[in-house]
Amino acid sequence: MTDQLTGLGVPLDLREHFDNRGLTSVSDLAGGSFNVWSNTFPADELPAEGSIVGVGGVLFEFPARGQGGDNIRCAGQLIVVPPGSYDWLYVLAAAERHTEDLLYLHYADGSVDPEWLRVSDFWPQTPDRFGAIEAFRCSTMHYPRHVQHGVDPVIWRHRVPVPRHAELAAIRLPDNPAAHIFAITAVPVAGAAL
Amino acid sequence: MKVELEGVRPWRHDMAGCLHACIATMVDHAGFDPLEVLGGNWQFYYRPGDIRSEEYYFPCPPNRSLLASLAPHHRIESRWRWPDNAEQGWQQVRDQVIAGHPVAVAVDNFEVPFRPAYQDVHSNHLVIVRGFDDERQTVSVLDAIPPFFSGELPLQTLAAARSSQNRSVHERDMFFAGRPIGNRWLQLLVDGPRRGSDPPGEFLARNLEQFHAAPAPNLYSGRAGIAQFLADMCDRLEAGHNVVDELFVVAGVALAGAAVHADWVAETGRRLNLRGWPELARQIRRLAHHWSALRILASLTRHGQTGGSQVTVARLRNRRAVLLAELDRTLAGIELVSAAR
Repeated sequence: MTDQLTGLGVPLDLREHFDNRGLTSVSDLAGGSFNVWSNTFPADELPAEGSIVGVGGVLFEFPARGQGGDNIRCAGQLIVVPPGSYDWLYVLAAAERHTEDLLYLHYADGSVDPEWLRVSDFWPQTPDRFGAIEAFRCSTMHYPRHVQHGVDPVIWRHRVPVPRHAELAAIRLPDNPAAHIFAITAVPVAGAAL
Repeated sequence: MKVELEGVRPWRHDMAGCLHACIATMVDHAGFDPLEVLGGNWQFYYRPGDIRSEEYYFPCPPNRSLLASLAPHHRIESRWRWPDNAEQGWQQVRDQVIAGHPVAVAVDNFEVPFRPAYQDVHSNHLVIVRGFDDERQTVSVLDAIPPFFSGELPLQTLAAARSSQNRSVHERDMFFAGRPIGNRWLQLLVDGPRRGSDPPGEFLARNLEQFHAAPAPNLYSGRAGIAQFLADMCDRLEAGHNVVDELFVVAGVALAGAAVHADWVAETGRRLNLRGWPELARQIRRLAHHWSALRILASLTRHGQTGGSQVTVARLRNRRAVLLAELDRTLAGIELVSAAR
């Protein structure tokens, strides 16, 4: 689902962390490998690279392809966050089978808290299990040698709470390669200045 | 002659594959509750080196049938049938359908037009045959695994898929290719009551007992078996051996088993208003999610890379530690719930 751009938030720049290519064009079907079978999402059915999109009232930067790809396969990367007080981290993500794991919130005062990151399966005809919002559902899926019609992979919108009343500085992703992250937007505490 | 069986319903669990889907459809048709049959039991069992390249691989103890292994709390047996040739293979399946039984037949996805792998990837898959039309030379097939299919195939097409050599030809013919399909099909042998005769808490207690039992020599079973299996996989990876197929496939079996069991615990807890069961179900589901992580890490050892991050033994050992911690928490939770009965 996409909607009007009503949300507040700080889309994080993830380009330097992208290490997996999950979006391909019809002319380059074998150019990515989201999962073990080298399936990919059809880029033509998704927002333009680097565009700002609204999903459920939250703004995201749809991935502009970095050198390593267009999504992060979680492997313990540290993502620096513009210092600020946030309530939620909103995430555009998809997993190879449902998965969940602990990420670590690093605060500016040095404290660190674990929180659960839950990511639903991208696989066609597979329901969300974590109360996510369907961000983008495609009508086809790319295989290295063909476009498969009638299968509908999904990118989900999940969220992670930032419970501590403190300035957030960074996010340590879990070491869980089943989880792929396309975008993260940090939503400030209500009333806080961006 | 034309036959189309009534009441052959699709069933799919999103964390399991064609094995659970097909067996659920067959036991449902035979009058059982599929979730109780497939989810009441939860164990870990694997004999080193037993791995087979089948999407529906499930490790069974010697002289115990697939259904007796998968659903020991119910009196259901099964037998893999290996016809001599394609013609005999079809006659046997046709006879079963005439007798009123939907049949699970193995196929090579490479030969099945409705599978995304058609003419692309070889993979040993399982579908349900529930009817046929002799005059039109067609077969009625059900496949609950995405993309869902319910319809007809030319008999000749099914025969080609069932008798395929399923050869591994290119780099994506992995895990489930390399072994002939052999026209095999699965026969369900049912005797006794259609519901488990014991209260659900007994299922949990028996599962727990199995998890805590010491494994026999040269066998991975129970909690100790999971710990040893994963430790051995780490050691073999460290020694430079290829662990991808064994770890990926066995982790897939463990993942499916935990996830389906979690749903049975959740559904049973809701239905009978059992204290602690919904939370226990969620804990078991979390364990399945950890198997997801381990399974994908295993798959990436094939190339030695996860994007920019190398798959190291340390990462695999860390996933093992996380999984075992969740397993111990889960087993303690089962004990707690069982003690409260």
